[in-house]
Amino acid sequence: MARAQRGDEQAFAELFRRHGDPVFRLALSILGQGFTAEAQDVVQDVFLKAHHALASFRGEAEFGSWLYRITFNQAVNVKARARYRRPHLDEAALSHATTTEPGPHAQMETAQRDQALGECIQTLPEVYQSALRLYYWLGASVAEVAVLVDVPENTAKSYLHRARQLLGAMLKERGY
Amino acid sequence: MSNMDHSEAEIDNLLRRSLAAPVPSLPPNFKLRRPSERPRRILLASYGLMSAAVSIVVMRGQGLGWGLIAAMTLGPLAIIEAARRLRRKQWEM
Repeated sequence: MARAQRGDEQAFAELFRRHGDPVFRLALSILGQGFTAEAQDVVQDVFLKAHHALASFRGEAEFGSWLYRITFNQAVNVKARARYRRPHLDEAALSHATTTEPGPHAQMETAQRDQALGECIQTLPEVYQSALRLYYWLGASVAEVAVLVDVPENTAKSYLHRARQLLGAMLKERGY
Repeated sequence: MSNMDHSEAEIDNLLRRSLAAPVPSLPPNFKLRRPSERPRRILLASYGLMSAAVSIVVMRGQGLGWGLIAAMTLGPLAIIEAARRLRRKQWEM
């Protein structure tokens, strides 16, 4: 960290090597499936900002938590613009092809329920959406979710719990 | 995640199945765009020099002596440099 602050480009590259992938995954968790290119743009913007602000960090822990906060805000902004540009691929769309349920009727029901679930997820607060996608799609553990959304582990756990409860209630309301 | 009630466990299963999709990762050839500091520094230095020159002309026009003008122009620069060095020293500790 100190080397990167003194302008050592190799040291900054090392910081990118350590934090690049988590930043990308966090951006994806906010943007959703089908927004890989936008998530890559977020990574570029975040590390550009980080490069400018490098001198103001006291250590890598502070740098990491700042990085994830900036990523979250940047991705939320990009998401608002990306949605406007083209319709968001819902969560279910990509999984339809892999459904193993037999018969066209059962597949149709699964597709409809997945579609409803995707729509319900979109109405959750951003931090819940992010926690859900990190955990269920990107395979992060609760501890990793906590680090990326910058909250204590118990709070991350309660985000997931609350998100599931809200989704359950919303799906019930829709008759699923 | 073991203390879920029945309906929450159902949603858990639904999410596991519904959100299952290939996980993209950053391409191995992903390169960070690096901003060039040079144009920014040149712009900032030009602005500094211009404003110092204008200030000197204005202060001279007001009849101030060269000593005072030098102190008022170079003083803030010295303070900025001192603060920068102090900050750097703190980082290195």
